[in-house]
Amino acid sequence: MMRPSTFFFLTRRGVRNLGKHWAMTIACIASLSVCMTLNIFASLAEVNVGSMVSYLGSQNETVVYLDPECDDATAAQVGEALSAMPGVSGVQYVSKQDVLDTYRGYMQDYSSLWDEFETDNPFKANYRVTLSDLTQMERMSVKMQAIPGVVSVTAPVEMTNIFVEIQKAVTKGGRMIVLVLMVVSIITVGSTIRLSVFARRREIEIMKYVGATNRMVTLPFFVEGLTMGLISGILTAAVSLGCYTYVVNAAGGLGGIWQMLMGRALVPVANVLPTIVVTSLLSGAIVGGVGSMFSIRKHLNV
Amino acid sequence: MIDFEHVSKEYKKGGRLALEDINFHVDEGEFVFLLGHSGAGKSTLLKLILRETLPTSGKVTVLGKDVAKLRRHKIPYLRRQMGIIFQDFRLIPSMTVYENVAFAMHVLNVPRKEIRPRVEYILELVHLEDKAKCYPDTLSGGEQQRVAVARALVHNPKLVIADEPTGNIDPELSLEMMQLLERVSKMGITVLVVTHEHELVHRFHQRVVTLSHGRIVSDVPADPVAAAEDDLSLDVAAFDADDASAAKKEVAAV
Repeated sequence: MMRPSTFFFLTRRGVRNLGKHWAMTIACIASLSVCMTLNIFASLAEVNVGSMVSYLGSQNETVVYLDPECDDATAAQVGEALSAMPGVSGVQYVSKQDVLDTYRGYMQDYSSLWDEFETDNPFKANYRVTLSDLTQMERMSVKMQAIPGVVSVTAPVEMTNIFVEIQKAVTKGGRMIVLVLMVVSIITVGSTIRLSVFARRREIEIMKYVGATNRMVTLPFFVEGLTMGLISGILTAAVSLGCYTYVVNAAGGLGGIWQMLMGRALVPVANVLPTIVVTSLLSGAIVGGVGSMFSIRKHLNV
Repeated sequence: MIDFEHVSKEYKKGGRLALEDINFHVDEGEFVFLLGHSGAGKSTLLKLILRETLPTSGKVTVLGKDVAKLRRHKIPYLRRQMGIIFQDFRLIPSMTVYENVAFAMHVLNVPRKEIRPRVEYILELVHLEDKAKCYPDTLSGGEQQRVAVARALVHNPKLVIADEPTGNIDPELSLEMMQLLERVSKMGITVLVVTHEHELVHRFHQRVVTLSHGRIVSDVPADPVAAAEDDLSLDVAAFDADDASAAKKEVAAV
């Protein structure tokens, strides 16, 4: 069992070694920070492109037309039944008069043409339904059709399927990029740490000759790796959040379609902040701490 | 203390034997020179004592332990009873002189309050008390070797192994180094000095085991009378008042 004084001595040595081997420390922190920042950028891109596609897809509403013969009570019951369906995120009632007013608005110059329909409105009252899961649109429209009082359902299934496919492709592509970057990061950081440990293999050998156990030899290197990992994590979180905040703010000032796409669909900074901070610190600590422990292993057989 | 029984070692199966049927015994408190030219098998023999490698056949017993039966996690505990001095000093460059010496005590789990006085005392013994805060690369070869000696002695080892301790220092300092090790031996600590310097070895009248091509070719016992004469002449010729007081301190420490 290691004495607390020995533990603190070795821990302090690990921290002090950061300064003593400053060139290696900078190399490790730089490579780890760059790799982790690239990973976070790729993840953010994937999440936001997914969010944009999802936002555009959600603009495709399913229209549930009511039987022209049904009374107000039945119409209300249909509305309740639709709201109660799992996967429905929004239900908006549009009366016959609302539809007529909408068309009148489209043709304001010829508004009087629509007066004839005021007494005999040919349009059908309907519900505009938005779904939380667009992949379920086809299946749910069949269910909606079965509700008493519903005469027909119009669902832009084909268009929605295109959005769903795009979203899936973006997610898959994003994950692939993140995975590749992660492998590259581990190789890069692993090599840097291994190089650092290799440069100090003599030190490890000496420790072993004076009777240090493997735990005693590993502890300073673990502390050193862990500290480097945490510093890299802080740098990564700061750079990623700084850049992302800038992008979100810049998107707010855009106009036209870009405003609609990026202004509304970009995930707010507050939503990604905890994930970025936790992921950066955790992955830095794991790669730094565990990486150095693994790198030192083969030098312990003295 | 150290016992080799019919020990052979071959690194590659079917290859040349690095050691062949080695039999020798070192008693507690004995001073032994292990003499041999390069490639004689000295390093292999040391590796066996330090349990860095295992014998191909035969039995090696160090400090009462059969090294072949020693589990890997027990090796540090065996080494903690030894003090090792290397030709290239092997000091940790990122540690000061004080820390290099104290490190050996930290790994022994010695309480911090006991470490400081002991390290200060041992640095005083090797005349390095004013270099405690220096880093090894700022010291001369002789000073670095004295730090290595201090590190080897600081935890009161039962066995001191010196691997070519004079290889990197000038002849005058070599003589001083051997005299220091001889004094260590007089404290009751077993000392094994591995060297190829015949001339230096023959100035001391200690036991000399000579290795050649992996075999022991001679084992000349110590000549206590001549050694005592040596002591007397050294006392007169080489020791000044400071050395005498240092020697007294060493004895008191034991």
